[in-house]
Amino acid sequence: MRLGHWLMVGGFCLAWLTAESETFRLVHVISGAIVLGVATFRLPWGFIGSRYARFSEFVRGPTAVKDYLSSILKLEPAHHVGHNPAGSWAIVILLGLGILTSLAGWAIYNDIGGHLLEELHEGLATSMLIVVLIHLAGVFSGSLLHGENLVRAMLTGVKNGLPEEAIASARPLAAVLLLVWVAAAGWFIAN
Amino acid sequence: MRTIATLGLLLISIAAQAETPQQIRQIYATEAAAQQAGFTPSAKRGETLFRQRFALNDKMPACTSCHTDSPLNIGQHAVTGKSVKPLAVATNAERFADAAKVEKWFGRNCKEVVGRACTPAEKADFVTYMSEVR
Repeated sequence: MRLGHWLMVGGFCLAWLTAESETFRLVHVISGAIVLGVATFRLPWGFIGSRYARFSEFVRGPTAVKDYLSSILKLEPAHHVGHNPAGSWAIVILLGLGILTSLAGWAIYNDIGGHLLEELHEGLATSMLIVVLIHLAGVFSGSLLHGENLVRAMLTGVKNGLPEEAIASARPLAAVLLLVWVAAAGWFIAN
Repeated sequence: MRTIATLGLLLISIAAQAETPQQIRQIYATEAAAQQAGFTPSAKRGETLFRQRFALNDKMPACTSCHTDSPLNIGQHAVTGKSVKPLAVATNAERFADAAKVEKWFGRNCKEVVGRACTPAEKADFVTYMSEVR
């Protein structure tokens, strides 16, 4: 779900930028709620969503990641219409970190957990930033090597492939549901 | 095995790292004295700093915007409305018990309310006021 990806990007960036501010504390809390909303929506979507969104379609073991990365190093990258094995790990790790970081933040906002949880929240957020940077490096190097702009693909939903590999359509109803869910999470958590 | 034991002890000492307000004041006072000879912390100057209106930030022009006019009181966050535990040691024994935490919040709040980093002298004065106010 591309909308979810960009909501997550916006939420994470905003949360990172407002992390040290009391003036923008509410913005920070709401952007964290957006990350939590998107990530929790993505979990069931990974089971019932469209073909390439399903975890069963793209979650691969470490061997697949190693093979894919070595195919990149040989400058002969194996092309995937769905998520490539390295990208799939970014998805899983970022979803996990996104949920843990925002839940920890939510607890802190409600005065649960004390100083130790604050340290955990910061540590989780920093690890998330590191994975984001690795993910970006992967997207740019992958785009160059595949000769396919993966950022544009994430915006338009169009990837190179055979017609029978395509999904029938985007899922506008799910997009509306996602927006409602994220808005509800933001409203509920900020109140 | 010995490495694990050493690591364990190190972790315990980090986790259990508890300071007293006096120790934290001493850290800042020593730092301040290195910059200005004969420095002694003053609760009075600390109180002045606490009450000063910097007015750089509309929502939180002074420490008192969230911490109320008396540091003995429970405060209220100027933006979120969440309650803030008292700053004064007399009504909140957990205050100034962890040097790293104190330094973190001086760092964040001075930057946002005062508009710059607070000096070691200001921090020593502030901790002194918060430790002594009744």
